[in-house]
Amino acid sequence: MGRVVPTSTQKASAEKLCKAVSKMKGVEAEPVERTSGTSPRWTVSVVCEADNWRALAEKLRETHSVDYCSMITGIHWPEGPDEKKWEVVYHFLRTGVKNPPSSDGVLQPIITDPNAVKGNDVPLEIEVSIRLPDTRTPSVASIQDIWVGADWNEKETWDLVGIDFDGHAGMRRVLQPHETPTGYHPLQRHHNLRYHGFEEMYDDAQGFGRKPDDIGKVK
Amino acid sequence: MAEMWISMGPQHPMTHGLWTLKIKVDGETVIDTVPDLGYIHRGVEKICETRDFTQITTYCDRLCYASANTWSHSYIYAAEDLLGVEVPERAEYIRLIAVELQRIASHLMWMGAYGPDTGNLSVMVWCLREREMMMDLLQELGGSRMHYNFPRIGGVKRDLPYGFVQRARSKLHLFLQRIQEYEALFDESTVFLVRTQGVGYAKPEEMINHGVSGPNLRAGGVNHDVRWAHPYSVYSELDWEPPVERSSIKGADCYDRYRVRIEEMRVSALMVLQAMERIPGGSDTYHEPGDPKLLAKAPSRAPEGTSGYHHFEDSRGESMFYLAGGGDGRGKSPYRVSIRSPMFITIPYASKCMIGYKVADIPAIMGSFDPCIGETDR
Repeated sequence: MGRVVPTSTQKASAEKLCKAVSKMKGVEAEPVERTSGTSPRWTVSVVCEADNWRALAEKLRETHSVDYCSMITGIHWPEGPDEKKWEVVYHFLRTGVKNPPSSDGVLQPIITDPNAVKGNDVPLEIEVSIRLPDTRTPSVASIQDIWVGADWNEKETWDLVGIDFDGHAGMRRVLQPHETPTGYHPLQRHHNLRYHGFEEMYDDAQGFGRKPDDIGKVK
Repeated sequence: MAEMWISMGPQHPMTHGLWTLKIKVDGETVIDTVPDLGYIHRGVEKICETRDFTQITTYCDRLCYASANTWSHSYIYAAEDLLGVEVPERAEYIRLIAVELQRIASHLMWMGAYGPDTGNLSVMVWCLREREMMMDLLQELGGSRMHYNFPRIGGVKRDLPYGFVQRARSKLHLFLQRIQEYEALFDESTVFLVRTQGVGYAKPEEMINHGVSGPNLRAGGVNHDVRWAHPYSVYSELDWEPPVERSSIKGADCYDRYRVRIEEMRVSALMVLQAMERIPGGSDTYHEPGDPKLLAKAPSRAPEGTSGYHHFEDSRGESMFYLAGGGDGRGKSPYRVSIRSPMFITIPYASKCMIGYKVADIPAIMGSFDPCIGETDR
């Protein structure tokens, strides 16, 4: 129907953003083509050093109108290379929407023509990856004050993975109970599920032969 | 009057699930709120690390009881991005039909719950009656009533059954007529209007910054829809437009959020009718399960260093999966699965919207955001 943003526009926009961002210190960006279903789309993939993250985040928000923080993922790589023992992956969207204007006290929705969008109005997906070396206290700068949507994402990442966010106000457990022991973050790789491995599930579907790992342990 | 903290939940009709909303009140007025989640945290992300890519679909179905199909599809698209699978077009159309029928069923469930929230009990029975029609259609596709496990990596489980299109067409036409009845039920009920109009304003620019998405965002006049801005599947080939509400300058109130869902059901129903017309190979042909027109071959392992993600328009907003390859069994399982739940981000914002209103407005405000705690807590 021709009612989506043309691939060429999106590609040009992704390349422009990469070029601008790559000039910054410690930032590498490249446009990536992703295909889901039948329509290909161009996205931006950025690798950033932890020290430069805050500057990059401010630049993305102010210069490139990246207005929507979608998700923050923390990953623990105990067997990874030395410079990547922890990783934080951010996913952003540039929605390309503006505040709707009002007339007669009612907001008038903006219906944009996808064929005519340009500049910072082109919708774009941005992925930022930050790698951290081996440490007991992984930490990156918080972006809670730039995108408020990052607030609960950061809380969740700390709660489950144990990556702290420097400057985050009001960090607390969100998904786990409040009385969870300090330092317990279940998505770190050294915590195993009780029934690990799926072969066991098939061999003993009823679970009669299985025993919990912590049998006999006193609390 | 003295200020005090009150705990609403975990068992409270307002919560639509298990969670606690702590409110600070000054007399009848809410002056501060703190949401407290995690009562049904099952650790789906951790469990998925020990399952292979096919098995994970089943867990994703169970993330949300009202909208199971959209969640399994959301995962499947991310897995296809990770494994690099190209999906046959016929399968994409069948997926679109399944997802949009689920969206209608989910919105009907929301409306059925929102009626009693705002003192309109009969709505619930009416909505569940129409939801039953959608459930019947989905049951024909997936084989079960609630957790369909319908999509596969590379396609779908089964083709449209014999006679599905005729049944779907008659049910959707009947449904499109009955939407007018719901509108009459709500819009002519003074109680409903008094309780929803001018209550729970949410400002559009704030919502984008807070990460609120989907119908809640479009109620504020913001034309943002993942199906529209970052099109996946065959959404770009159909003739449709996301419904956007004209809210007041104060932002979207509960009434706008109700209106936008009504419109969205209508758009989804028309989209399904259109998809059944345009499906490649015709809607009357039937392929056996596993036919290359329904299911593309997909690798079962993802090597280390690969990653895949996909933004998806769920019934409640933008859901998303991020998968890192290279887990157990030489990449048979993903190394890390991360889930973005739209309601996990929206509930803190919805709690902020209540500040300044009366305690009695809380069910109306919270219900209008359509919370589902299964996906919130994961």
